[in-house]
Amino acid sequence: MSKISAPRSNREFIEACVKAGDAVRIKQEVDWENEAGAIVRRACELGAAAPFMEKIKDYPGFSYFGAPLSTYRRMAISLGMDPASTLPEIGKEYLARTNGEPIAPVTIDRKDAPCKENILLGADVDLCKLPVPLVHDGDGGRYVGTWHAVVTKHPVRGDVNWGMYRQMMFDGRTMSGAVFPFSDLGKQLSEYYLPRGLSCPFATAIGLSPLAAMAACAPSPIPEPELVGMLSGEPARLVKCETNDLEVPADAEIIIEGEICPDYKVEEGPFGEYTGYRTSPRDFRVTFRVNCITYRNNATMTISNMGVPQDEGQLLRSFSLGLELEKLLRSQGIPVTGVYMHPRSTHHMMIVGVKPAYTGIAQQIAQLAFGSKLGPWFHMVMVVDDQTDIYNWDEVYHAFCTRCHPENGIHIYRNTTGTPLYPFATPHERKYSIGSKVLFDCLWPVDWDKTNDVPTLVSFKNVYPKDIQERVLANWTTYGYPEVK
Amino acid sequence: MNQWEVFVMDMAELAEGKDIEISIRTLNPGVQKYTYKHVRAQVSSSLDKFPDKLQVRMGRGQLSAAKFSIKVIEEIRRLPPQYS
Repeated sequence: MSKISAPRSNREFIEACVKAGDAVRIKQEVDWENEAGAIVRRACELGAAAPFMEKIKDYPGFSYFGAPLSTYRRMAISLGMDPASTLPEIGKEYLARTNGEPIAPVTIDRKDAPCKENILLGADVDLCKLPVPLVHDGDGGRYVGTWHAVVTKHPVRGDVNWGMYRQMMFDGRTMSGAVFPFSDLGKQLSEYYLPRGLSCPFATAIGLSPLAAMAACAPSPIPEPELVGMLSGEPARLVKCETNDLEVPADAEIIIEGEICPDYKVEEGPFGEYTGYRTSPRDFRVTFRVNCITYRNNATMTISNMGVPQDEGQLLRSFSLGLELEKLLRSQGIPVTGVYMHPRSTHHMMIVGVKPAYTGIAQQIAQLAFGSKLGPWFHMVMVVDDQTDIYNWDEVYHAFCTRCHPENGIHIYRNTTGTPLYPFATPHERKYSIGSKVLFDCLWPVDWDKTNDVPTLVSFKNVYPKDIQERVLANWTTYGYPEVK
Repeated sequence: MNQWEVFVMDMAELAEGKDIEISIRTLNPGVQKYTYKHVRAQVSSSLDKFPDKLQVRMGRGQLSAAKFSIKVIEEIRRLPPQYS
Protein backbone atom coordinates (compact mmCIF):
# COMPACT_ATOMS: atom_id res chain seq x y z
CA MET A 1 0.00 0.00 0.00
CA SER A 2 1.27 3.47 -0.85
CA LYS A 3 2.67 5.59 1.97
CA ILE A 4 2.39 8.67 -0.21
CA SER A 5 -0.65 10.84 0.37
CA ALA A 6 -0.53 12.98 -2.74
CA PRO A 7 -3.71 14.49 -4.23
CA ARG A 8 -5.12 11.98 -6.71
CA SER A 9 -7.09 14.45 -8.79
CA ASN A 10 -7.25 18.12 -9.65
CA ARG A 11 -10.17 18.44 -7.20
CA GLU A 12 -8.25 16.92 -4.31
CA PHE A 13 -5.34 19.18 -5.18
CA ILE A 14 -7.49 22.31 -5.12
CA GLU A 15 -8.87 21.32 -1.72
CA ALA A 16 -5.37 20.69 -0.37
CA CYS A 17 -4.17 24.06 -1.70
CA VAL A 18 -7.15 25.92 -0.22
CA LYS A 19 -6.57 24.22 3.13
CA ALA A 20 -2.88 25.22 3.10
CA GLY A 21 -3.69 28.79 2.12
CA ASP A 22 -2.18 28.26 -1.33
CA ALA A 23 -5.39 28.74 -3.32
CA VAL A 24 -8.20 31.27 -3.05
CA ARG A 25 -11.82 30.68 -3.99
CA ILE A 26 -13.09 33.50 -6.20
CA LYS A 27 -16.87 33.57 -5.95
CA GLN A 28 -17.66 36.54 -8.17
CA GLU A 29 -18.13 36.05 -11.89
CA VAL A 30 -14.97 36.18 -13.96
CA ASP A 31 -14.82 36.79 -17.71
CA TRP A 32 -13.14 34.11 -19.83
CA GLU A 33 -11.97 36.91 -22.12
CA ASN A 34 -8.76 38.32 -20.59
CA GLU A 35 -9.99 38.73 -16.99
CA ALA A 36 -9.28 35.15 -15.89
CA GLY A 37 -5.92 35.28 -17.64
CA ALA A 38 -5.03 38.58 -16.00
CA ILE A 39 -5.84 37.18 -12.56
CA VAL A 40 -3.61 34.18 -13.16
CA ARG A 41 -0.80 36.32 -14.54
CA ARG A 42 -0.83 38.65 -11.58
CA ALA A 43 -0.90 35.72 -9.18
CA CYS A 44 2.17 34.32 -10.94
CA GLU A 45 4.07 37.58 -10.84
CA LEU A 46 3.28 38.05 -7.14
CA GLY A 47 3.91 34.43 -6.19
CA ALA A 48 0.38 34.55 -4.78
CA ALA A 49 -2.11 31.80 -4.06
CA ALA A 50 -3.63 29.98 -7.02
CA PRO A 51 -7.00 31.40 -8.12
CA PHE A 52 -9.92 28.96 -8.14
CA MET A 53 -12.55 30.87 -10.13
CA GLU A 54 -15.91 29.30 -9.45
CA LYS A 55 -18.15 31.33 -11.75
CA ILE A 56 -17.27 31.91 -15.41
CA LYS A 57 -19.15 34.32 -17.65
CA ASP A 58 -21.25 32.48 -20.27
CA TYR A 59 -20.34 29.09 -18.80
CA PRO A 60 -22.48 28.16 -15.81
CA GLY A 61 -21.31 24.99 -14.08
CA PHE A 62 -17.68 25.36 -15.13
CA SER A 63 -14.77 26.77 -13.14
CA TYR A 64 -11.09 27.64 -13.64
CA PHE A 65 -8.05 26.74 -11.59
CA GLY A 66 -5.10 28.95 -12.49
CA ALA A 67 -1.39 28.79 -11.82
CA PRO A 68 -1.64 25.29 -10.38
CA LEU A 69 2.07 24.67 -9.85
CA SER A 70 3.70 28.08 -10.04
CA THR A 71 5.22 27.90 -6.55
CA TYR A 72 7.40 25.35 -4.81
CA ARG A 73 4.83 25.23 -2.01
CA ARG A 74 2.17 23.96 -4.42
CA MET A 75 4.70 21.57 -5.92
CA ALA A 76 5.32 20.17 -2.43
CA ILE A 77 1.56 19.84 -1.87
CA SER A 78 1.21 18.01 -5.17
CA LEU A 79 3.75 15.46 -3.98
CA GLY A 80 2.03 15.08 -0.62
CA MET A 81 4.87 16.85 1.18
CA ASP A 82 4.92 19.61 3.77
CA PRO A 83 4.24 22.86 1.86
CA ALA A 84 7.24 24.40 3.61
CA SER A 85 9.63 21.84 2.12
CA THR A 86 12.72 23.36 0.56
CA LEU A 87 13.58 22.97 -3.10
CA PRO A 88 16.46 20.55 -2.39
CA GLU A 89 14.08 18.45 -0.28
CA ILE A 90 11.48 18.39 -3.05
CA GLY A 91 14.15 17.50 -5.59
CA LYS A 92 15.47 14.69 -3.41
CA GLU A 93 11.97 13.28 -3.06
CA TYR A 94 11.37 13.47 -6.82
CA LEU A 95 14.62 11.63 -7.50
CA ALA A 96 13.88 8.98 -4.88
CA ARG A 97 10.43 8.28 -6.30
CA THR A 98 11.47 8.31 -9.94
CA ASN A 99 14.53 6.12 -9.46
CA GLY A 100 12.39 3.21 -8.30
CA GLU A 101 10.51 0.59 -10.27
CA PRO A 102 7.92 1.86 -12.76
CA ILE A 103 4.32 1.36 -11.61
CA ALA A 104 2.04 0.30 -14.45
CA PRO A 105 -1.33 2.04 -14.76
CA VAL A 106 -4.66 0.28 -14.41
CA THR A 107 -7.54 0.58 -16.86
CA ILE A 108 -10.90 1.07 -15.23
CA ASP A 109 -14.41 0.57 -16.56
CA ARG A 110 -15.82 3.62 -18.28
CA LYS A 111 -18.84 3.65 -15.94
CA ASP A 112 -16.43 4.31 -13.07
CA ALA A 113 -14.57 7.10 -14.84
CA PRO A 114 -15.58 10.61 -13.73
CA CYS A 115 -14.41 12.09 -17.04
CA LYS A 116 -17.29 10.26 -18.79
CA GLU A 117 -20.08 12.01 -16.90
CA ASN A 118 -20.90 14.09 -20.01
CA ILE A 119 -20.21 12.94 -23.56
CA LEU A 120 -20.52 15.07 -26.70
CA LEU A 121 -20.43 13.25 -30.03
CA GLY A 122 -21.28 14.05 -33.64
CA ALA A 123 -23.05 17.33 -34.20
CA ASP A 124 -22.90 18.08 -30.48
CA VAL A 125 -19.12 18.42 -30.55
CA ASP A 126 -18.28 22.07 -30.15
CA LEU A 127 -15.26 23.48 -28.33
CA CYS A 128 -17.23 26.68 -27.73
CA LYS A 129 -19.22 24.72 -25.16
CA LEU A 130 -16.09 24.69 -23.01
CA PRO A 131 -14.93 27.85 -21.21
CA VAL A 132 -11.80 28.17 -23.31
CA PRO A 133 -10.07 31.33 -22.08
CA LEU A 134 -8.42 34.14 -23.98
CA VAL A 135 -5.32 33.96 -21.80
CA HIS A 136 -3.47 37.07 -22.98
CA ASP A 137 -4.85 39.99 -24.93
CA GLY A 138 -3.39 39.75 -28.42
CA ASP A 139 -3.00 35.99 -28.42
CA GLY A 140 -3.87 34.35 -31.71
CA GLY A 141 -6.85 32.67 -30.16
CA ARG A 142 -8.44 31.11 -27.11
CA TYR A 143 -6.18 28.40 -25.77
CA VAL A 144 -7.75 25.08 -24.88
CA GLY A 145 -4.51 23.52 -23.76
CA THR A 146 -2.21 25.46 -21.49
CA TRP A 147 -1.90 22.96 -18.61
CA HIS A 148 -2.86 19.56 -19.91
CA ALA A 149 -1.58 16.44 -21.63
CA VAL A 150 -1.86 15.53 -25.28
CA VAL A 151 -2.00 11.74 -25.29
CA THR A 152 -0.73 9.81 -28.33
CA LYS A 153 0.62 6.35 -28.97
CA HIS A 154 3.11 5.03 -31.51
CA PRO A 155 1.13 2.60 -33.65
CA VAL A 156 3.97 0.10 -34.00
CA ARG A 157 6.11 0.41 -30.91
CA GLY A 158 3.17 1.18 -28.65
CA ASP A 159 5.03 3.98 -26.89
CA VAL A 160 2.58 6.19 -25.06
CA ASN A 161 3.34 9.88 -24.90
CA TRP A 162 1.73 12.54 -22.77
CA GLY A 163 3.04 15.94 -23.76
CA MET A 164 2.12 19.50 -23.00
CA TYR A 165 1.74 20.95 -26.48
CA ARG A 166 -0.16 24.23 -26.51
CA GLN A 167 -3.47 24.05 -28.37
CA MET A 168 -5.48 26.94 -29.75
CA MET A 169 -9.18 26.77 -30.62
CA PHE A 170 -9.44 27.60 -34.33
CA ASP A 171 -13.13 26.82 -34.59
CA GLY A 172 -15.63 24.65 -32.77
CA ARG A 173 -14.09 21.43 -34.01
CA THR A 174 -10.52 22.39 -34.82
CA MET A 175 -7.46 23.15 -32.74
CA SER A 176 -3.96 24.02 -33.87
CA GLY A 177 -0.81 23.72 -31.86
CA ALA A 178 2.91 24.12 -31.63
CA VAL A 179 4.59 20.74 -31.90
CA PHE A 180 8.34 21.11 -32.28
CA PRO A 181 10.11 18.66 -34.58
CA PHE A 182 12.43 17.46 -31.81
CA SER A 183 9.60 16.71 -29.36
CA ASP A 184 8.30 13.18 -28.83
CA LEU A 185 5.11 13.92 -30.73
CA GLY A 186 7.01 15.78 -33.45
CA LYS A 187 9.25 12.77 -34.00
CA GLN A 188 6.26 10.42 -34.01
CA LEU A 189 4.50 12.50 -36.66
CA SER A 190 7.52 12.92 -38.90
CA GLU A 191 8.66 9.32 -38.51
CA TYR A 192 5.36 7.51 -38.98
CA TYR A 193 2.17 9.41 -39.69
CA LEU A 194 3.14 12.17 -42.10
CA PRO A 195 5.08 9.99 -44.58
CA ARG A 196 2.13 7.61 -44.73
CA GLY A 197 -0.48 10.33 -44.93
CA LEU A 198 -2.23 8.86 -41.91
CA SER A 199 -4.08 10.77 -39.26
CA CYS A 200 -2.76 10.35 -35.71
CA PRO A 201 -5.30 9.70 -32.96
CA PHE A 202 -4.94 12.02 -29.98
CA ALA A 203 -6.71 12.83 -26.74
CA THR A 204 -6.19 16.02 -24.79
CA ALA A 205 -6.70 15.67 -21.05
CA ILE A 206 -7.35 18.89 -19.11
CA GLY A 207 -7.65 19.28 -15.36
CA LEU A 208 -5.26 16.48 -14.55
CA SER A 209 -4.04 15.49 -11.14
CA PRO A 210 -0.99 17.65 -10.42
CA LEU A 211 1.34 14.66 -10.63
CA ALA A 212 -0.08 13.67 -14.02
CA ALA A 213 0.57 17.24 -15.18
CA MET A 214 4.06 17.03 -13.70
CA ALA A 215 4.68 13.83 -15.65
CA ALA A 216 3.38 15.37 -18.87
CA CYS A 217 5.75 18.28 -18.38
CA ALA A 218 8.80 16.22 -17.39
CA PRO A 219 11.30 15.20 -20.08
CA SER A 220 11.70 11.77 -18.49
CA PRO A 221 12.41 8.65 -20.56
CA ILE A 222 9.87 6.80 -18.39
CA PRO A 223 6.41 6.59 -20.05
CA GLU A 224 4.20 9.17 -18.39
CA PRO A 225 1.46 6.81 -17.11
CA GLU A 226 4.14 4.83 -15.26
CA LEU A 227 5.88 7.96 -14.10
CA VAL A 228 2.62 9.15 -12.53
CA GLY A 229 2.45 5.87 -10.67
CA MET A 230 5.99 6.29 -9.38
CA LEU A 231 5.35 9.84 -8.27
CA SER A 232 2.08 9.05 -6.52
CA GLY A 233 3.01 5.59 -5.20
CA GLU A 234 0.06 3.84 -6.81
CA PRO A 235 -1.13 2.98 -10.32
CA ALA A 236 -2.59 5.78 -12.41
CA ARG A 237 -6.26 5.17 -13.25
CA LEU A 238 -6.87 5.26 -16.99
CA VAL A 239 -9.96 4.77 -19.11
CA LYS A 240 -10.38 4.06 -22.79
CA CYS A 241 -11.45 6.86 -25.11
CA GLU A 242 -14.84 6.88 -26.85
CA THR A 243 -13.60 7.25 -30.42
CA ASN A 244 -10.08 5.79 -30.50
CA ASP A 245 -7.93 3.24 -28.68
CA LEU A 246 -6.07 5.69 -26.49
CA GLU A 247 -6.33 5.65 -22.72
CA VAL A 248 -6.65 8.82 -20.70
CA PRO A 249 -6.57 9.74 -17.01
CA ALA A 250 -9.99 8.74 -15.72
CA ASP A 251 -10.11 11.55 -13.15
CA ALA A 252 -9.32 14.34 -15.59
CA GLU A 253 -11.87 17.12 -15.81
CA ILE A 254 -12.14 17.32 -19.60
CA ILE A 255 -11.10 14.99 -22.43
CA ILE A 256 -10.99 16.06 -26.07
CA GLU A 257 -10.62 13.22 -28.55
CA GLY A 258 -9.75 13.45 -32.21
CA GLU A 259 -7.14 13.07 -34.88
CA ILE A 260 -4.11 15.03 -35.99
CA CYS A 261 -4.49 15.76 -39.68
CA PRO A 262 -1.51 14.97 -41.90
CA ASP A 263 -2.86 16.92 -44.85
CA TYR A 264 -4.57 19.93 -43.34
CA LYS A 265 -3.11 22.84 -41.43
CA VAL A 266 -4.60 25.97 -40.00
CA GLU A 267 -2.94 28.97 -38.42
CA GLU A 268 -1.81 29.01 -34.80
CA GLY A 269 -0.42 31.68 -32.50
CA PRO A 270 0.98 34.02 -31.53
CA PHE A 271 0.92 33.07 -27.85
CA GLY A 272 2.63 34.45 -24.77
CA GLU A 273 5.13 31.82 -23.76
CA TYR A 274 7.37 30.73 -20.88
CA THR A 275 10.25 32.84 -22.15
CA GLY A 276 8.26 35.90 -21.13
CA TYR A 277 7.62 36.94 -24.73
CA ARG A 278 5.34 36.34 -27.65
CA THR A 279 8.19 35.30 -29.90
CA SER A 280 6.91 33.30 -32.83
CA PRO A 281 4.36 34.82 -35.17
CA ARG A 282 1.34 32.93 -36.31
CA ASP A 283 1.99 30.20 -38.80
CA PHE A 284 0.34 27.09 -40.21
CA ARG A 285 0.93 24.45 -37.58
CA VAL A 286 -0.13 20.98 -36.50
CA THR A 287 -3.90 20.72 -36.69
CA PHE A 288 -6.14 18.68 -34.42
CA ARG A 289 -9.65 17.73 -35.56
CA VAL A 290 -12.00 17.07 -32.66
CA ASN A 291 -14.40 14.09 -32.74
CA CYS A 292 -15.58 13.85 -29.15
CA ILE A 293 -15.58 15.81 -25.89
CA THR A 294 -16.18 14.24 -22.49
CA TYR A 295 -16.17 16.07 -19.18
CA ARG A 296 -17.02 15.82 -15.51
CA ASN A 297 -20.00 17.49 -13.98
CA ASN A 298 -18.95 20.97 -12.83
CA ALA A 299 -15.69 20.59 -14.70
CA THR A 300 -12.71 22.74 -13.81
CA MET A 301 -10.46 23.91 -16.60
CA THR A 302 -6.82 24.44 -15.62
CA ILE A 303 -5.04 27.55 -16.89
CA SER A 304 -1.35 28.21 -17.02
CA ASN A 305 -0.62 31.79 -17.95
CA MET A 306 2.92 31.89 -19.18
CA GLY A 307 4.87 35.11 -19.31
CA VAL A 308 7.59 36.71 -17.23
CA PRO A 309 8.65 34.65 -14.21
CA GLN A 310 7.33 32.86 -12.57
CA ASP A 311 4.75 30.42 -13.74
CA GLU A 312 4.57 26.65 -13.73
CA GLY A 313 6.00 26.44 -17.22
CA GLN A 314 9.23 27.86 -15.87
CA LEU A 315 9.13 26.40 -12.39
CA LEU A 316 8.17 22.83 -13.16
CA ARG A 317 10.13 22.58 -16.37
CA SER A 318 13.24 23.96 -14.65
CA PHE A 319 12.72 21.51 -11.83
CA SER A 320 12.28 18.43 -14.00
CA LEU A 321 14.90 19.33 -16.61
CA GLY A 322 17.49 19.88 -13.87
CA LEU A 323 16.71 16.63 -12.09
CA GLU A 324 16.57 14.59 -15.30
CA LEU A 325 19.96 16.00 -16.27
CA GLU A 326 21.30 15.11 -12.84
CA LYS A 327 20.15 11.53 -13.38
CA LEU A 328 21.80 11.44 -16.79
CA LEU A 329 25.12 12.79 -15.50
CA ARG A 330 25.15 10.40 -12.56
CA SER A 331 24.41 7.51 -14.90
CA GLN A 332 27.64 8.42 -16.69
CA GLY A 333 29.62 8.37 -13.44
CA ILE A 334 30.19 12.11 -13.35
CA PRO A 335 30.66 13.25 -9.73
CA VAL A 336 27.99 15.95 -9.73
CA THR A 337 26.88 17.53 -6.47
CA GLY A 338 23.62 18.67 -8.03
CA VAL A 339 21.95 20.31 -10.99
CA TYR A 340 19.68 23.31 -10.76
CA MET A 341 17.84 25.56 -13.16
CA HIS A 342 16.67 28.78 -11.67
CA PRO A 343 13.07 29.34 -12.84
CA ARG A 344 13.94 32.94 -13.55
CA SER A 345 16.24 31.75 -16.31
CA THR A 346 12.98 30.63 -17.97
CA HIS A 347 14.65 27.23 -18.05
CA HIS A 348 17.47 28.39 -20.26
CA MET A 349 20.45 28.02 -17.93
CA MET A 350 21.52 24.76 -16.34
CA ILE A 351 23.77 25.15 -13.30
CA VAL A 352 25.81 22.05 -12.55
CA GLY A 353 27.89 21.54 -9.42
CA VAL A 354 30.69 19.00 -9.83
CA LYS A 355 33.82 17.78 -8.15
CA PRO A 356 36.48 18.85 -10.69
CA ALA A 357 38.03 15.42 -10.90
CA TYR A 358 39.68 15.68 -14.30
CA THR A 359 40.39 18.03 -17.15
CA GLY A 360 37.50 18.66 -19.52
CA ILE A 361 34.78 17.59 -17.11
CA ALA A 362 32.79 20.78 -17.77
CA GLN A 363 32.92 20.15 -21.52
CA GLN A 364 31.85 16.56 -20.98
CA ILE A 365 28.88 17.77 -18.96
CA ALA A 366 27.90 20.33 -21.57
CA GLN A 367 28.17 17.86 -24.42
CA LEU A 368 26.02 15.33 -22.60
CA ALA A 369 23.50 17.99 -21.64
CA PHE A 370 23.23 19.57 -25.08
CA GLY A 371 23.37 16.21 -26.86
CA SER A 372 20.56 14.64 -24.86
CA LYS A 373 16.83 14.91 -25.56
CA LEU A 374 16.78 17.59 -22.87
CA GLY A 375 19.20 19.74 -24.86
CA PRO A 376 16.89 21.70 -27.17
CA TRP A 377 15.14 23.25 -24.16
CA PHE A 378 18.11 25.27 -22.87
CA HIS A 379 21.15 26.92 -24.33
CA MET A 380 23.40 27.71 -21.37
CA VAL A 381 25.29 25.38 -19.07
CA MET A 382 27.27 26.80 -16.19
CA VAL A 383 29.57 24.43 -14.34
CA VAL A 384 30.74 25.33 -10.83
CA ASP A 385 32.76 23.36 -8.33
CA ASP A 386 31.50 21.28 -5.43
CA GLN A 387 32.19 24.08 -2.94
CA THR A 388 29.67 26.38 -4.62
CA ASP A 389 26.05 26.15 -3.51
CA ILE A 390 24.17 25.77 -6.80
CA TYR A 391 20.92 26.97 -5.19
CA ASN A 392 22.57 30.19 -3.99
CA TRP A 393 22.58 32.59 -6.92
CA ASP A 394 24.98 34.96 -5.11
CA GLU A 395 27.59 32.23 -4.91
CA VAL A 396 26.99 31.02 -8.46
CA TYR A 397 27.14 34.55 -9.86
CA HIS A 398 30.34 35.23 -7.94
CA ALA A 399 31.90 32.03 -9.31
CA PHE A 400 30.82 32.95 -12.83
CA CYS A 401 32.21 36.46 -12.68
CA THR A 402 35.52 35.49 -11.11
CA ARG A 403 36.41 32.00 -12.35
CA CYS A 404 35.08 31.84 -15.89
CA HIS A 405 38.03 32.79 -18.12
CA PRO A 406 36.78 35.00 -20.95
CA GLU A 407 38.84 33.11 -23.50
CA ASN A 408 39.27 29.64 -22.06
CA GLY A 409 36.10 29.23 -20.05
CA ILE A 410 33.43 30.12 -22.58
CA HIS A 411 32.72 27.45 -25.19
CA ILE A 412 30.23 28.03 -27.97
CA TYR A 413 28.49 25.24 -29.86
CA ARG A 414 27.04 26.30 -33.19
CA ASN A 415 24.24 24.94 -35.38
CA THR A 416 22.62 22.89 -32.67
CA THR A 417 18.91 22.22 -32.16
CA GLY A 418 17.01 25.21 -30.85
CA THR A 419 13.43 26.12 -30.24
CA PRO A 420 11.37 28.59 -32.26
CA LEU A 421 10.65 30.30 -28.96
CA TYR A 422 14.18 31.59 -28.29
CA PRO A 423 13.64 35.36 -28.10
CA PHE A 424 17.25 36.09 -29.08
CA ALA A 425 17.20 33.90 -32.19
CA THR A 426 16.91 35.36 -35.65
CA PRO A 427 13.64 34.77 -37.53
CA HIS A 428 15.47 32.29 -39.77
CA GLU A 429 16.82 30.38 -36.77
CA ARG A 430 13.38 30.26 -35.22
CA LYS A 431 11.73 29.00 -38.37
CA TYR A 432 14.13 26.07 -38.68
CA SER A 433 14.75 25.40 -34.95
CA ILE A 434 18.42 26.31 -35.33
CA GLY A 435 20.12 26.87 -32.03
CA SER A 436 23.48 27.67 -30.54
CA LYS A 437 24.70 26.84 -27.07
CA VAL A 438 27.24 28.12 -24.61
CA LEU A 439 29.16 26.56 -21.74
CA PHE A 440 30.45 28.71 -18.91
CA ASP A 441 33.23 26.69 -17.30
CA CYS A 442 33.69 28.15 -13.82
CA LEU A 443 36.09 25.48 -12.56
CA TRP A 444 39.68 26.14 -11.64
CA PRO A 445 41.87 24.34 -14.15
CA VAL A 446 42.96 20.94 -12.88
CA ASP A 447 46.56 21.60 -13.88
CA TRP A 448 46.83 24.64 -11.62
CA ASP A 449 48.79 24.08 -8.44
CA LYS A 450 46.19 24.09 -5.69
CA THR A 451 48.51 25.85 -3.24
CA ASN A 452 50.22 28.40 -5.41
CA ASP A 453 47.98 28.96 -8.43
CA VAL A 454 44.38 28.65 -7.23
CA PRO A 455 43.21 31.86 -5.54
CA THR A 456 41.95 31.53 -1.99
CA LEU A 457 38.27 32.23 -1.52
CA VAL A 458 37.99 34.98 1.06
CA SER A 459 34.80 34.25 2.95
CA PHE A 460 33.71 33.83 6.53
CA LYS A 461 33.40 30.07 6.04
CA ASN A 462 36.72 29.68 4.25
CA VAL A 463 39.41 31.83 5.84
CA TYR A 464 38.74 31.74 9.59
CA PRO A 465 39.64 28.93 11.98
CA LYS A 466 36.67 26.84 13.03
CA ASP A 467 36.91 27.96 16.67
CA ILE A 468 36.77 31.60 15.65
CA GLN A 469 33.77 30.98 13.43
CA GLU A 470 31.96 29.21 16.26
CA ARG A 471 32.80 32.00 18.71
CA VAL A 472 31.52 34.69 16.35
CA LEU A 473 28.35 32.75 15.62
CA ALA A 474 27.74 32.11 19.32
CA ASN A 475 28.23 35.78 20.20
CA TRP A 476 26.46 37.25 17.20
CA THR A 477 23.42 38.56 19.04
CA THR A 478 25.60 39.61 21.97
CA TYR A 479 27.50 41.85 19.57
CA GLY A 480 24.21 43.58 18.95
CA TYR A 481 23.08 41.96 15.72
CA PRO A 482 19.64 40.46 15.24
CA GLU A 483 19.45 36.71 15.03
CA VAL A 484 20.11 35.31 11.56
CA LYS A 485 17.55 32.76 10.42
CA MET B 1 -22.72 44.54 -38.90
CA ASN B 2 -20.13 41.97 -37.95
CA GLN B 3 -16.75 42.70 -36.44
CA TRP B 4 -13.73 40.72 -37.54
CA GLU B 5 -10.04 40.62 -36.79
CA VAL B 6 -7.09 39.46 -38.86
CA PHE B 7 -3.42 38.79 -38.10
CA VAL B 8 -0.89 39.86 -40.70
CA MET B 9 2.87 40.08 -40.92
CA ASP B 10 2.70 42.88 -43.43
CA MET B 11 -0.12 45.31 -44.16
CA ALA B 12 0.42 44.59 -47.85
CA GLU B 13 -1.41 41.31 -47.24
CA LEU B 14 -4.57 43.39 -47.09
CA ALA B 15 -4.57 44.48 -50.70
CA GLU B 16 -7.49 46.73 -51.54
CA GLY B 17 -9.58 46.45 -54.69
CA LYS B 18 -9.12 42.72 -55.19
CA ASP B 19 -10.32 39.45 -53.78
CA ILE B 20 -8.03 38.12 -51.09
CA GLU B 21 -8.00 34.91 -49.05
CA ILE B 22 -7.55 35.40 -45.35
CA SER B 23 -8.35 33.78 -42.02
CA ILE B 24 -10.47 36.10 -39.90
CA ARG B 25 -11.82 35.68 -36.42
CA THR B 26 -15.10 36.99 -35.18
CA LEU B 27 -15.17 39.69 -32.52
CA ASN B 28 -18.94 39.49 -32.17
CA PRO B 29 -19.90 38.97 -28.52
CA GLY B 30 -20.78 35.46 -27.37
CA VAL B 31 -19.23 32.06 -26.95
CA GLN B 32 -18.12 31.93 -30.59
CA LYS B 33 -15.91 34.99 -30.15
CA TYR B 34 -12.36 34.53 -31.49
CA THR B 35 -13.23 31.51 -33.64
CA TYR B 36 -11.93 31.60 -37.18
CA LYS B 37 -13.18 31.30 -40.70
CA HIS B 38 -11.07 31.15 -43.84
CA VAL B 39 -12.69 33.41 -46.38
CA ARG B 40 -12.46 35.12 -49.71
CA ALA B 41 -13.08 38.78 -49.09
CA GLN B 42 -12.53 42.33 -50.13
CA VAL B 43 -11.22 44.96 -47.76
CA SER B 44 -11.06 48.71 -47.85
CA SER B 45 -9.45 51.38 -45.72
CA SER B 46 -12.64 53.32 -46.31
CA LEU B 47 -14.69 52.30 -43.31
CA ASP B 48 -17.99 52.93 -45.06
CA LYS B 49 -17.31 50.93 -48.17
CA PHE B 50 -18.21 47.46 -46.88
CA PRO B 51 -20.74 46.39 -44.25
CA ASP B 52 -18.45 44.67 -41.74
CA LYS B 53 -15.54 46.05 -39.72
CA LEU B 54 -12.05 44.58 -39.72
CA GLN B 55 -9.46 45.14 -37.03
CA VAL B 56 -5.82 44.22 -37.62
CA ARG B 57 -3.13 42.70 -35.43
CA MET B 58 0.46 42.18 -36.41
CA GLY B 59 2.38 38.92 -36.14
CA ARG B 60 3.00 39.03 -32.43
CA GLY B 61 -0.40 40.32 -31.44
CA GLN B 62 0.23 44.07 -31.60
CA LEU B 63 -2.99 45.89 -32.36
CA SER B 64 -2.65 48.05 -35.45
CA ALA B 65 -4.13 51.52 -35.59
CA ALA B 66 -5.27 50.81 -39.13
CA LYS B 67 -8.97 49.98 -39.55
CA PHE B 68 -10.73 48.48 -42.51
CA SER B 69 -14.17 47.59 -43.69
CA ILE B 70 -14.62 44.12 -45.13
CA LYS B 71 -17.01 42.20 -47.34
CA VAL B 72 -16.92 38.46 -46.86
CA ILE B 73 -17.64 37.00 -50.28
CA GLU B 74 -17.58 33.36 -49.29
CA GLU B 75 -16.22 31.00 -46.72
CA ILE B 76 -13.60 28.72 -48.18
CA ARG B 77 -13.77 25.18 -46.87
CA ARG B 78 -10.26 23.78 -47.02
CA LEU B 79 -11.00 20.88 -44.73
CA PRO B 80 -10.56 17.54 -46.53
CA PRO B 81 -13.88 15.66 -46.61
CA GLN B 82 -12.65 12.78 -44.46
CA TYR B 83 -12.52 15.11 -41.44
CA SER B 84 -15.97 16.59 -41.86
